[in-house]
Amino acid sequence: MSEREDPIAQAYAEHLLASLGRQAEASLALPMEHPALRWSRCGLMALTGTPDTPLMFPAPLAACADGALAALAALGPAGALDGIDAAALLAERAAIAGHRRGGDVSPGGACRLLRAADGWLALNLARDDDWDLLPAWLETELSPGWEGVAAAVRERLLEALIEQGRLLGLALADAQPMTDTVPWQRGLTAAAPMARSRPPRILDLSSLWAGPLCGHLLQRLGADVVKLESTQRPDGARNGPPAFFDLMNAGKRSVALDLRGDEGRAQLRGLIAAADIVIEASRPRALRQMGFDAEALAREHRLTWISLSGYGRGAPQEQWIAYGDDAAVAAGLSDTLYRATGQALIVGDAIADPLTGLHAALAAWAGWQAGGGMLVSLALRDVVRHCLQFDLPGGDEALRARQRHWTGLAMADGSARLPQARSARGTAPALGTHTAEVIAEWAAC
Amino acid sequence: MAKTALKAGARFKSTVCDTQVMVVKAPAGEFELRCGGADMVGATAPAAAGGTLDPALSGETLIGKRYVNADESLELLCTKGGKGTLSLDGVALEIKQAKQLPSSD
Repeated sequence: MSEREDPIAQAYAEHLLASLGRQAEASLALPMEHPALRWSRCGLMALTGTPDTPLMFPAPLAACADGALAALAALGPAGALDGIDAAALLAERAAIAGHRRGGDVSPGGACRLLRAADGWLALNLARDDDWDLLPAWLETELSPGWEGVAAAVRERLLEALIEQGRLLGLALADAQPMTDTVPWQRGLTAAAPMARSRPPRILDLSSLWAGPLCGHLLQRLGADVVKLESTQRPDGARNGPPAFFDLMNAGKRSVALDLRGDEGRAQLRGLIAAADIVIEASRPRALRQMGFDAEALAREHRLTWISLSGYGRGAPQEQWIAYGDDAAVAAGLSDTLYRATGQALIVGDAIADPLTGLHAALAAWAGWQAGGGMLVSLALRDVVRHCLQFDLPGGDEALRARQRHWTGLAMADGSARLPQARSARGTAPALGTHTAEVIAEWAAC
Repeated sequence: MAKTALKAGARFKSTVCDTQVMVVKAPAGEFELRCGGADMVGATAPAAAGGTLDPALSGETLIGKRYVNADESLELLCTKGGKGTLSLDGVALEIKQAKQLPSSD
Protein backbone atom coordinates (compact mmCIF):
# COMPACT_ATOMS: atom_id res chain seq x y z
CA MET A 1 0.00 0.00 0.00
CA SER A 2 1.25 3.40 -0.91
CA GLU A 3 2.72 5.70 1.67
CA ARG A 4 3.14 8.68 -0.57
CA GLU A 5 3.95 12.07 0.90
CA ASP A 6 0.73 13.60 -0.07
CA PRO A 7 -0.02 13.13 -3.70
CA ILE A 8 -3.17 11.40 -2.52
CA ALA A 9 -5.17 14.64 -2.47
CA GLN A 10 -3.85 15.48 -5.92
CA ALA A 11 -4.57 11.98 -7.17
CA TYR A 12 -8.10 12.23 -5.82
CA ALA A 13 -8.65 15.62 -7.48
CA GLU A 14 -7.39 14.28 -10.80
CA HIS A 15 -9.54 11.18 -10.43
CA LEU A 16 -12.67 13.28 -9.85
CA LEU A 17 -11.89 15.58 -12.75
CA ALA A 18 -11.22 12.62 -15.04
CA SER A 19 -14.56 11.06 -14.07
CA LEU A 20 -16.17 14.32 -15.20
CA GLY A 21 -14.24 14.24 -18.46
CA ARG A 22 -12.21 17.24 -17.38
CA GLN A 23 -8.67 18.03 -16.43
CA ALA A 24 -7.04 20.82 -14.53
CA GLU A 25 -5.58 23.49 -16.76
CA ALA A 26 -3.24 24.88 -14.11
CA SER A 27 -1.59 23.18 -11.19
CA LEU A 28 -4.00 22.24 -8.42
CA ALA A 29 -4.01 24.25 -5.22
CA LEU A 30 -3.42 21.70 -2.48
CA PRO A 31 -2.02 21.79 1.01
CA MET A 32 1.24 19.86 1.05
CA GLU A 33 0.74 17.85 4.22
CA HIS A 34 0.63 14.14 4.84
CA PRO A 35 -2.98 12.80 4.95
CA ALA A 36 -2.45 11.78 8.58
CA LEU A 37 -1.58 15.34 9.50
CA ARG A 38 -4.51 16.72 7.54
CA TRP A 39 -6.69 14.54 9.80
CA SER A 40 -5.06 15.60 13.05
CA ARG A 41 -4.65 19.29 12.20
CA CYS A 42 -8.15 19.89 10.79
CA GLY A 43 -9.97 18.89 13.96
CA LEU A 44 -11.32 15.52 12.83
CA MET A 45 -8.99 13.61 15.10
CA ALA A 46 -10.36 15.61 18.03
CA LEU A 47 -13.88 14.62 16.92
CA THR A 48 -13.17 10.88 16.64
CA GLY A 49 -12.47 8.43 19.44
CA THR A 50 -13.44 7.88 23.03
CA PRO A 51 -13.75 10.87 25.34
CA ASP A 52 -10.27 10.03 26.69
CA THR A 53 -8.47 9.32 23.44
CA PRO A 54 -8.63 11.04 20.05
CA LEU A 55 -8.08 8.69 17.13
CA MET A 56 -6.43 8.63 13.75
CA PHE A 57 -8.46 7.25 10.84
CA PRO A 58 -6.64 4.86 8.49
CA ALA A 59 -7.92 6.30 5.20
CA PRO A 60 -7.31 9.82 3.84
CA LEU A 61 -10.77 11.32 4.26
CA ALA A 62 -9.50 14.83 4.98
CA ALA A 63 -7.18 14.66 1.97
CA CYS A 64 -10.10 13.58 -0.21
CA ALA A 65 -11.95 16.71 0.90
CA ASP A 66 -8.88 18.71 -0.15
CA GLY A 67 -8.90 16.96 -3.49
CA ALA A 68 -12.59 17.60 -4.12
CA LEU A 69 -12.23 21.31 -3.35
CA ALA A 70 -9.09 21.59 -5.49
CA ALA A 71 -10.97 20.01 -8.40
CA LEU A 72 -13.79 22.52 -7.96
CA ALA A 73 -11.33 25.40 -7.74
CA ALA A 74 -9.69 24.21 -10.96
CA LEU A 75 -13.00 24.54 -12.85
CA GLY A 76 -14.10 27.84 -11.32
CA PRO A 77 -12.85 31.40 -11.64
CA ALA A 78 -9.22 31.67 -10.57
CA GLY A 79 -8.79 32.34 -6.88
CA ALA A 80 -12.50 32.21 -6.01
CA LEU A 81 -12.03 29.54 -3.34
CA ASP A 82 -8.74 30.83 -1.96
CA GLY A 83 -8.65 30.77 1.79
CA ILE A 84 -11.04 27.81 2.18
CA ASP A 85 -9.41 24.84 3.87
CA ALA A 86 -11.49 21.87 2.73
CA ALA A 87 -10.42 19.54 5.52
CA ALA A 88 -11.36 22.18 8.07
CA LEU A 89 -14.83 22.41 6.50
CA LEU A 90 -15.47 18.87 7.73
CA ALA A 91 -15.10 19.98 11.33
CA GLU A 92 -16.43 23.52 11.32
CA ARG A 93 -19.98 22.76 12.40
CA ALA A 94 -18.62 21.01 15.49
CA ALA A 95 -16.44 24.04 16.19
CA ILE A 96 -19.49 26.32 16.18
CA ALA A 97 -21.88 23.97 17.98
CA GLY A 98 -19.30 22.90 20.55
CA HIS A 99 -19.66 19.23 19.62
CA ARG A 100 -17.14 16.81 21.09
CA ARG A 101 -16.27 13.22 20.35
CA GLY A 102 -18.40 10.75 22.24
CA GLY A 103 -17.12 7.30 21.33
CA ASP A 104 -20.08 5.34 19.98
CA VAL A 105 -22.29 8.44 20.21
CA SER A 106 -22.09 11.08 17.49
CA PRO A 107 -20.65 14.46 18.51
CA GLY A 108 -24.10 15.96 17.94
CA GLY A 109 -25.56 13.36 20.29
CA ALA A 110 -28.44 12.06 18.13
CA CYS A 111 -26.76 9.05 16.52
CA ARG A 112 -25.54 5.92 18.27
CA LEU A 113 -23.93 2.67 17.34
CA LEU A 114 -25.97 -0.16 18.79
CA ARG A 115 -25.15 -3.85 18.94
CA ALA A 116 -27.84 -6.14 17.60
CA ALA A 117 -27.79 -9.90 18.08
CA ASP A 118 -25.82 -10.39 14.87
CA GLY A 119 -23.98 -7.13 14.17
CA TRP A 120 -23.83 -3.39 14.62
CA LEU A 121 -26.18 -0.70 13.43
CA ALA A 122 -26.37 3.06 13.75
CA LEU A 123 -29.61 4.72 14.77
CA ASN A 124 -30.01 8.47 14.40
CA LEU A 125 -32.89 10.02 16.32
CA ALA A 126 -32.39 13.52 14.93
CA ARG A 127 -35.98 14.61 15.57
CA ASP A 128 -37.44 14.49 19.05
CA ASP A 129 -40.57 12.76 17.78
CA ASP A 130 -38.47 9.97 16.30
CA TRP A 131 -38.51 8.61 19.85
CA ASP A 132 -42.26 8.09 19.50
CA LEU A 133 -41.59 5.55 16.74
CA LEU A 134 -39.44 3.26 18.86
CA PRO A 135 -42.27 1.15 20.36
CA ALA A 136 -43.45 0.43 16.80
CA TRP A 137 -39.89 -0.26 15.66
CA LEU A 138 -39.11 -2.70 18.45
CA GLU A 139 -42.72 -3.86 18.92
CA THR A 140 -42.47 -3.45 22.66
CA GLU A 141 -42.98 -0.83 25.32
CA LEU A 142 -39.70 0.84 26.27
CA SER A 143 -38.38 2.61 29.30
CA PRO A 144 -37.30 6.09 28.26
CA GLY A 145 -33.73 6.73 27.17
CA TRP A 146 -31.06 4.95 25.17
CA GLU A 147 -30.48 2.13 27.67
CA GLY A 148 -33.85 0.58 27.01
CA VAL A 149 -33.35 0.90 23.27
CA ALA A 150 -29.91 -0.68 23.43
CA ALA A 151 -31.23 -3.59 25.50
CA ALA A 152 -34.09 -4.29 23.11
CA VAL A 153 -31.86 -3.99 20.04
CA ARG A 154 -29.33 -6.44 21.46
CA GLU A 155 -31.90 -9.25 21.32
CA ARG A 156 -32.98 -8.66 17.75
CA LEU A 157 -31.59 -9.42 14.31
CA LEU A 158 -30.19 -6.68 12.11
CA GLU A 159 -32.14 -7.43 8.98
CA ALA A 160 -35.53 -7.31 10.71
CA LEU A 161 -34.57 -4.18 12.66
CA ILE A 162 -33.50 -2.39 9.53
CA GLU A 163 -36.52 -3.42 7.50
CA GLN A 164 -39.03 -2.37 10.16
CA GLY A 165 -37.13 0.84 10.95
CA ARG A 166 -36.94 1.89 7.33
CA LEU A 167 -40.67 1.40 6.93
CA LEU A 168 -41.10 3.77 9.86
CA GLY A 169 -38.77 6.36 8.38
CA LEU A 170 -36.04 5.99 10.98
CA ALA A 171 -32.47 6.84 9.96
CA LEU A 172 -30.75 3.48 10.37
CA ALA A 173 -27.56 2.03 8.99
CA ASP A 174 -26.05 -1.42 8.92
CA ALA A 175 -22.43 -0.89 9.95
CA GLN A 176 -21.30 -3.62 7.59
CA PRO A 177 -21.01 -1.97 4.19
CA MET A 178 -22.41 -3.86 1.23
CA THR A 179 -21.20 -2.36 -1.99
CA ASP A 180 -18.46 -0.43 -3.65
CA THR A 181 -19.66 2.73 -5.23
CA VAL A 182 -19.01 5.76 -7.36
CA PRO A 183 -19.46 9.28 -6.01
CA TRP A 184 -22.23 10.24 -8.41
CA GLN A 185 -24.55 8.48 -10.80
CA ARG A 186 -25.99 9.32 -14.20
CA GLY A 187 -22.43 10.16 -15.18
CA LEU A 188 -21.69 13.54 -16.52
CA THR A 189 -20.68 13.28 -20.12
CA ALA A 190 -17.30 14.34 -21.33
CA ALA A 191 -18.90 17.16 -23.27
CA ALA A 192 -16.56 20.06 -23.74
CA PRO A 193 -17.48 22.95 -21.50
CA MET A 194 -19.67 25.54 -23.16
CA ALA A 195 -18.84 29.19 -23.07
CA ARG A 196 -21.05 30.73 -20.41
CA SER A 197 -21.78 34.43 -20.56
CA ARG A 198 -23.02 34.77 -17.00
CA PRO A 199 -22.73 32.98 -13.69
CA PRO A 200 -25.36 30.30 -12.99
CA ARG A 201 -28.66 30.87 -11.21
CA ILE A 202 -29.01 28.32 -8.44
CA LEU A 203 -32.19 27.24 -6.73
CA ASP A 204 -31.31 25.53 -3.46
CA LEU A 205 -34.23 23.51 -2.06
CA SER A 206 -32.09 21.68 0.48
CA SER A 207 -31.65 22.09 4.21
CA LEU A 208 -29.25 21.35 7.07
CA TRP A 209 -25.66 20.95 5.85
CA ALA A 210 -24.80 19.00 2.68
CA GLY A 211 -26.96 20.92 0.21
CA PRO A 212 -26.47 24.33 1.81
CA LEU A 213 -22.68 23.81 1.77
CA CYS A 214 -22.91 22.95 -1.93
CA GLY A 215 -24.81 26.19 -2.59
CA HIS A 216 -22.41 28.15 -0.42
CA LEU A 217 -19.38 26.95 -2.38
CA LEU A 218 -21.10 27.70 -5.70
CA GLN A 219 -21.88 31.16 -4.44
CA ARG A 220 -18.20 31.65 -3.71
CA LEU A 221 -17.63 30.83 -7.38
CA GLY A 222 -19.90 33.72 -8.32
CA ALA A 223 -23.29 32.02 -8.65
CA ASP A 224 -26.58 33.73 -7.81
CA VAL A 225 -27.95 31.41 -5.13
CA VAL A 226 -31.55 31.47 -4.00
CA LYS A 227 -32.45 29.44 -0.93
CA LEU A 228 -36.03 28.28 -1.25
CA GLU A 229 -37.91 27.06 1.82
CA SER A 230 -41.43 25.96 2.50
CA THR A 231 -43.28 28.34 4.80
CA GLN A 232 -44.61 25.23 6.59
CA ARG A 233 -41.27 23.49 7.01
CA PRO A 234 -38.37 25.94 6.87
CA ASP A 235 -34.78 24.70 7.08
CA GLY A 236 -34.42 23.16 10.54
CA ALA A 237 -30.91 24.65 10.76
CA ARG A 238 -32.62 28.00 11.39
CA ASN A 239 -33.21 26.61 14.89
CA GLY A 240 -29.57 25.60 15.32
CA PRO A 241 -26.57 27.82 16.06
CA PRO A 242 -26.99 31.10 14.12
CA ALA A 243 -23.25 31.31 13.39
CA PHE A 244 -23.46 28.04 11.47
CA PHE A 245 -26.64 28.99 9.60
CA ASP A 246 -25.00 32.29 8.63
CA LEU A 247 -21.83 30.55 7.52
CA MET A 248 -23.79 28.33 5.13
CA ASN A 249 -26.40 30.82 3.97
CA ALA A 250 -25.12 34.40 4.16
CA GLY A 251 -25.14 35.93 0.71
CA LYS A 252 -27.93 33.71 -0.60
CA ARG A 253 -31.33 35.24 -1.18
CA SER A 254 -34.26 33.75 0.73
CA VAL A 255 -37.56 32.79 -0.89
CA ALA A 256 -40.38 31.18 1.09
CA LEU A 257 -43.41 29.61 -0.58
CA ASP A 258 -46.47 27.81 0.69
CA LEU A 259 -45.99 24.56 -1.19
CA ARG A 260 -49.34 23.10 -0.11
CA GLY A 261 -51.28 25.23 -2.56
CA ASP A 262 -51.41 25.58 -6.33
CA GLU A 263 -50.04 29.12 -6.31
CA GLY A 264 -46.89 28.21 -4.37
CA ARG A 265 -46.30 25.17 -6.56
CA ALA A 266 -46.71 27.23 -9.72
CA GLN A 267 -44.19 29.73 -8.37
CA LEU A 268 -41.79 26.92 -7.59
CA ARG A 269 -42.23 25.60 -11.13
CA GLY A 270 -41.40 29.04 -12.50
CA LEU A 271 -38.24 29.32 -10.42
CA ILE A 272 -37.10 25.85 -11.47
CA ALA A 273 -37.61 26.80 -15.12
CA ALA A 274 -35.42 29.87 -14.70
CA ALA A 275 -32.65 28.14 -12.76
CA ASP A 276 -29.45 26.65 -14.17
CA ILE A 277 -28.78 24.41 -11.19
CA VAL A 278 -31.25 22.95 -8.68
CA ILE A 279 -29.97 21.52 -5.40
CA GLU A 280 -32.55 19.26 -3.83
CA ALA A 281 -32.45 16.73 -1.01
CA SER A 282 -36.01 15.57 -0.51
CA ARG A 283 -37.17 12.05 -1.07
CA PRO A 284 -38.21 11.69 -4.71
CA ARG A 285 -41.73 10.67 -3.75
CA ALA A 286 -42.24 14.00 -1.95
CA LEU A 287 -41.66 15.91 -5.18
CA ARG A 288 -43.61 13.41 -7.24
CA GLN A 289 -46.59 13.71 -4.90
CA MET A 290 -46.42 17.47 -5.54
CA GLY A 291 -46.38 16.87 -9.29
CA PHE A 292 -42.68 17.48 -10.00
CA ASP A 293 -40.64 15.06 -12.10
CA ALA A 294 -37.00 15.97 -11.54
CA GLU A 295 -35.54 14.11 -14.52
CA ALA A 296 -38.08 15.58 -16.93
CA LEU A 297 -37.60 19.10 -15.55
CA ALA A 298 -33.83 18.78 -15.88
CA ARG A 299 -34.13 17.77 -19.53
CA GLU A 300 -36.79 20.31 -20.38
CA HIS A 301 -35.02 23.30 -18.87
CA ARG A 302 -31.40 22.24 -19.47
CA LEU A 303 -30.87 22.14 -15.72
CA THR A 304 -28.19 20.47 -13.74
CA TRP A 305 -30.37 18.90 -11.06
CA ILE A 306 -28.38 17.82 -8.02
CA SER A 307 -30.35 15.14 -6.18
CA LEU A 308 -28.94 14.47 -2.71
CA SER A 309 -30.09 11.41 -0.80
CA GLY A 310 -28.88 8.96 1.78
CA TYR A 311 -28.73 5.90 -0.45
CA GLY A 312 -29.54 6.98 -3.99
CA ARG A 313 -32.59 7.06 -6.22
CA GLY A 314 -34.72 4.11 -7.27
CA ALA A 315 -36.71 1.58 -5.26
CA PRO A 316 -36.36 0.73 -2.50
CA GLN A 317 -33.43 2.89 -1.37
CA GLU A 318 -34.94 6.23 -2.30
CA GLN A 319 -37.37 5.78 0.60
CA TRP A 320 -34.63 5.42 3.20
CA ILE A 321 -33.72 8.50 5.11
CA ALA A 322 -30.23 9.29 6.31
CA TYR A 323 -28.30 11.99 8.09
CA GLY A 324 -24.59 12.64 8.07
CA ASP A 325 -23.56 10.37 10.93
CA ASP A 326 -25.56 7.27 10.06
CA ALA A 327 -24.73 7.55 6.35
CA ALA A 328 -21.04 7.55 7.30
CA VAL A 329 -21.60 4.38 9.30
CA ALA A 330 -23.42 2.84 6.32
CA ALA A 331 -20.40 3.72 4.16
CA GLY A 332 -18.22 1.61 6.42
CA LEU A 333 -16.27 4.21 8.41
CA SER A 334 -17.08 2.69 11.78
CA ASP A 335 -16.45 -0.80 10.47
CA THR A 336 -13.06 0.30 9.13
CA LEU A 337 -12.08 1.90 12.41
CA TYR A 338 -13.29 -1.20 14.26
CA ARG A 339 -11.05 -3.37 12.14
CA ALA A 340 -8.14 -1.01 12.75
CA THR A 341 -8.61 -0.50 16.49
CA GLY A 342 -11.13 -3.01 17.84
CA GLN A 343 -13.44 -0.22 18.97
CA ALA A 344 -16.91 0.57 17.63
CA LEU A 345 -16.91 4.35 17.22
CA ILE A 346 -18.50 7.17 15.26
CA VAL A 347 -16.07 8.91 12.87
CA GLY A 348 -16.18 12.72 12.71
CA ASP A 349 -19.25 14.93 13.04
CA ALA A 350 -21.92 14.07 10.45
CA ILE A 351 -18.97 13.77 8.08
CA ALA A 352 -21.09 12.50 5.18
CA ASP A 353 -22.74 15.92 4.96
CA PRO A 354 -19.72 18.14 4.25
CA LEU A 355 -18.04 15.49 2.09
CA THR A 356 -21.20 15.25 0.01
CA GLY A 357 -21.56 19.03 -0.16
CA LEU A 358 -18.06 19.32 -1.61
CA HIS A 359 -18.63 16.63 -4.23
CA ALA A 360 -22.07 18.02 -5.07
CA ALA A 361 -20.63 21.47 -5.74
CA LEU A 362 -18.10 19.96 -8.13
CA ALA A 363 -20.77 17.91 -9.92
CA ALA A 364 -23.08 20.94 -10.14
CA TRP A 365 -20.50 23.31 -11.54
CA ALA A 366 -19.17 20.77 -14.03
CA GLY A 367 -22.72 19.87 -15.11
CA TRP A 368 -23.58 23.51 -15.68
CA GLN A 369 -20.39 24.05 -17.66
CA ALA A 370 -21.23 21.03 -19.80
CA GLY A 371 -24.60 22.49 -20.75
CA GLY A 372 -26.96 20.94 -18.17
CA GLY A 373 -29.97 18.83 -19.05
CA MET A 374 -29.20 16.11 -16.55
CA LEU A 375 -29.95 14.85 -13.10
CA VAL A 376 -26.93 13.95 -11.00
CA SER A 377 -27.62 11.75 -8.02
CA LEU A 378 -25.27 11.90 -5.05
CA ALA A 379 -25.92 9.55 -2.15
CA LEU A 380 -24.32 10.44 1.18
CA ARG A 381 -23.34 6.83 1.75
CA ASP A 382 -21.79 6.47 -1.68
CA VAL A 383 -19.74 9.68 -1.53
CA VAL A 384 -18.21 8.64 1.78
CA ARG A 385 -17.65 5.11 0.53
CA HIS A 386 -15.90 6.49 -2.54
CA CYS A 387 -13.54 8.53 -0.37
CA LEU A 388 -12.98 5.59 1.97
CA GLN A 389 -12.11 3.19 -0.83
CA PHE A 390 -9.80 5.52 -2.71
CA ASP A 391 -6.67 4.64 -0.74
CA LEU A 392 -7.68 1.98 1.76
CA PRO A 393 -5.12 -0.65 2.72
CA GLY A 394 -6.30 -4.14 1.82
CA GLY A 395 -6.70 -6.57 4.70
CA ASP A 396 -6.93 -6.04 8.42
CA GLU A 397 -3.20 -6.40 9.09
CA ALA A 398 -2.35 -3.65 6.60
CA LEU A 399 -5.13 -1.53 8.05
CA ARG A 400 -3.72 -1.86 11.56
CA ALA A 401 -0.22 -1.08 10.28
CA ARG A 402 -1.54 2.06 8.56
CA GLN A 403 -3.34 3.06 11.76
CA ARG A 404 -0.15 2.67 13.82
CA HIS A 405 1.99 4.49 11.28
CA TRP A 406 -0.33 7.44 10.80
CA THR A 407 -0.98 7.71 14.55
CA GLY A 408 2.80 7.86 15.01
CA LEU A 409 3.06 10.63 12.44
CA ALA A 410 0.40 12.69 14.18
CA MET A 411 1.99 12.15 17.59
CA ALA A 412 5.43 13.12 16.31
CA ASP A 413 3.95 16.17 14.63
CA GLY A 414 2.27 17.29 17.84
CA SER A 415 0.13 19.92 16.15
CA ALA A 416 -3.29 18.27 16.39
CA ARG A 417 -5.91 20.95 16.67
CA LEU A 418 -9.46 21.32 17.83
CA PRO A 419 -12.05 22.02 15.13
CA GLN A 420 -11.95 25.57 13.80
CA ALA A 421 -14.71 27.47 12.03
CA ARG A 422 -14.52 30.27 9.53
CA SER A 423 -16.46 33.44 10.20
CA ALA A 424 -19.58 34.01 8.13
CA ARG A 425 -19.49 36.81 5.59
CA GLY A 426 -22.52 38.58 6.98
CA THR A 427 -25.82 37.19 8.22
CA ALA A 428 -28.26 34.95 6.42
CA PRO A 429 -31.49 36.70 5.35
CA ALA A 430 -34.66 36.12 7.32
CA LEU A 431 -37.10 33.57 5.89
CA GLY A 432 -38.70 34.87 2.72
CA THR A 433 -36.90 38.23 2.61
CA HIS A 434 -36.50 38.10 -1.18
CA THR A 435 -39.60 36.17 -2.25
CA ALA A 436 -41.25 38.86 -4.36
CA GLU A 437 -37.98 40.21 -5.70
CA VAL A 438 -36.69 36.85 -6.92
CA ILE A 439 -40.01 35.72 -8.40
CA ALA A 440 -40.22 38.95 -10.42
CA GLU A 441 -36.57 38.92 -11.43
CA TRP A 442 -36.39 35.26 -12.45
CA ALA A 443 -39.74 35.45 -14.27
CA ALA A 444 -38.00 37.82 -16.68
CA CYS A 445 -35.21 35.33 -17.39
CA MET B 1 -67.29 -7.21 11.38
CA ALA B 2 -64.15 -8.38 13.10
CA LYS B 3 -62.55 -6.36 15.83
CA THR B 4 -58.85 -6.58 16.34
CA ALA B 5 -56.24 -5.37 18.82
CA LEU B 6 -53.80 -2.85 17.40
CA LYS B 7 -50.27 -3.10 18.73
CA ALA B 8 -47.41 -0.71 17.91
CA GLY B 9 -45.30 -2.19 15.14
CA ALA B 10 -48.04 -4.48 13.81
CA ARG B 11 -48.62 -4.39 10.06
CA PHE B 12 -51.92 -4.73 8.25
CA LYS B 13 -52.98 -4.91 4.63
CA SER B 14 -56.13 -4.05 2.78
CA THR B 15 -58.19 -6.82 1.21
CA VAL B 16 -59.62 -4.56 -1.50
CA CYS B 17 -56.62 -2.50 -2.65
CA ASP B 18 -52.81 -2.33 -2.34
CA THR B 19 -52.77 -0.36 0.92
CA GLN B 20 -50.47 -1.52 3.71
CA VAL B 21 -49.98 0.18 7.05
CA MET B 22 -47.94 -0.12 10.21
CA VAL B 23 -49.32 0.82 13.60
CA VAL B 24 -47.17 3.58 15.09
CA LYS B 25 -49.32 3.91 18.18
CA ALA B 26 -52.77 2.79 19.21
CA PRO B 27 -55.06 2.88 22.21
CA ALA B 28 -55.68 -0.33 24.15
CA GLY B 29 -58.73 -2.35 23.17
CA GLU B 30 -60.17 -3.85 20.02
CA PHE B 31 -61.26 -1.90 16.98
CA GLU B 32 -62.60 -2.32 13.49
CA LEU B 33 -59.74 -1.31 11.23
CA ARG B 34 -60.85 -1.09 7.62
CA CYS B 35 -59.63 0.08 4.29
CA GLY B 36 -62.04 0.78 1.44
CA GLY B 37 -64.87 -0.46 3.63
CA ALA B 38 -63.42 -3.95 4.21
CA ASP B 39 -61.61 -5.29 7.27
CA MET B 40 -57.84 -5.12 7.07
CA VAL B 41 -55.90 -8.30 7.79
CA GLY B 42 -52.44 -9.01 9.17
CA ALA B 43 -49.74 -8.29 6.60
CA THR B 44 -48.61 -11.91 6.56
CA ALA B 45 -52.12 -13.37 6.26
CA PRO B 46 -52.77 -15.32 3.06
CA ALA B 47 -54.34 -13.29 0.29
CA ALA B 48 -58.05 -13.01 0.95
CA ALA B 49 -60.63 -13.70 -1.69
CA GLY B 50 -60.97 -10.47 -3.61
CA GLY B 51 -63.47 -8.21 -1.93
CA THR B 52 -64.67 -5.11 -3.65
CA LEU B 53 -63.72 -1.57 -2.89
CA ASP B 54 -66.62 0.56 -1.70
CA PRO B 55 -66.57 3.48 -4.18
CA ALA B 56 -67.69 5.81 -1.40
CA LEU B 57 -64.59 4.81 0.56
CA SER B 58 -61.96 5.17 -2.14
CA GLY B 59 -60.20 8.25 -0.83
CA GLU B 60 -56.73 6.81 -1.50
CA THR B 61 -53.78 6.25 0.78
CA LEU B 62 -50.33 7.66 0.09
CA ILE B 63 -47.09 5.92 0.96
CA GLY B 64 -45.16 7.66 3.70
CA LYS B 65 -48.17 9.56 5.04
CA ARG B 66 -49.36 9.11 8.58
CA TYR B 67 -53.05 8.65 9.27
CA VAL B 68 -54.66 9.54 12.59
CA ASN B 69 -58.04 9.52 14.25
CA ALA B 70 -59.61 12.67 15.67
CA ASP B 71 -57.78 12.67 19.01
CA GLU B 72 -54.59 11.23 17.44
CA SER B 73 -54.63 8.30 19.86
CA LEU B 74 -54.27 6.08 16.78
CA GLU B 75 -51.48 6.68 14.29
CA LEU B 76 -50.88 4.49 11.24
CA LEU B 77 -48.02 4.84 8.80
CA CYS B 78 -48.88 3.99 5.22
CA THR B 79 -46.12 1.67 3.97
CA LYS B 80 -47.79 1.00 0.63
CA GLY B 81 -50.31 3.25 -1.07
CA GLY B 82 -53.67 2.12 -2.41
CA LYS B 83 -57.14 3.25 -3.41
CA GLY B 84 -59.16 2.74 -0.24
CA THR B 85 -59.94 5.08 2.64
CA LEU B 86 -58.65 4.00 6.05
CA SER B 87 -61.19 3.95 8.85
CA LEU B 88 -61.36 3.06 12.52
CA ASP B 89 -64.71 1.95 13.88
CA GLY B 90 -66.40 3.44 10.85
CA VAL B 91 -64.74 6.87 11.04
CA ALA B 92 -62.33 7.84 8.27
CA LEU B 93 -58.76 8.59 9.32
CA GLU B 94 -57.07 11.85 8.38
CA ILE B 95 -53.55 12.61 7.13
CA LYS B 96 -51.29 13.88 9.88
CA GLN B 97 -49.16 16.93 9.13
CA ALA B 98 -45.53 16.32 8.18
CA LYS B 99 -42.90 16.38 10.87
CA GLN B 100 -40.77 19.43 11.36
CA LEU B 101 -37.18 19.12 10.20
CA PRO B 102 -34.48 18.59 12.81
CA SER B 103 -32.21 21.51 13.64
CA SER B 104 -29.15 19.44 12.91
CA ASP B 105 -28.15 15.92 12.20
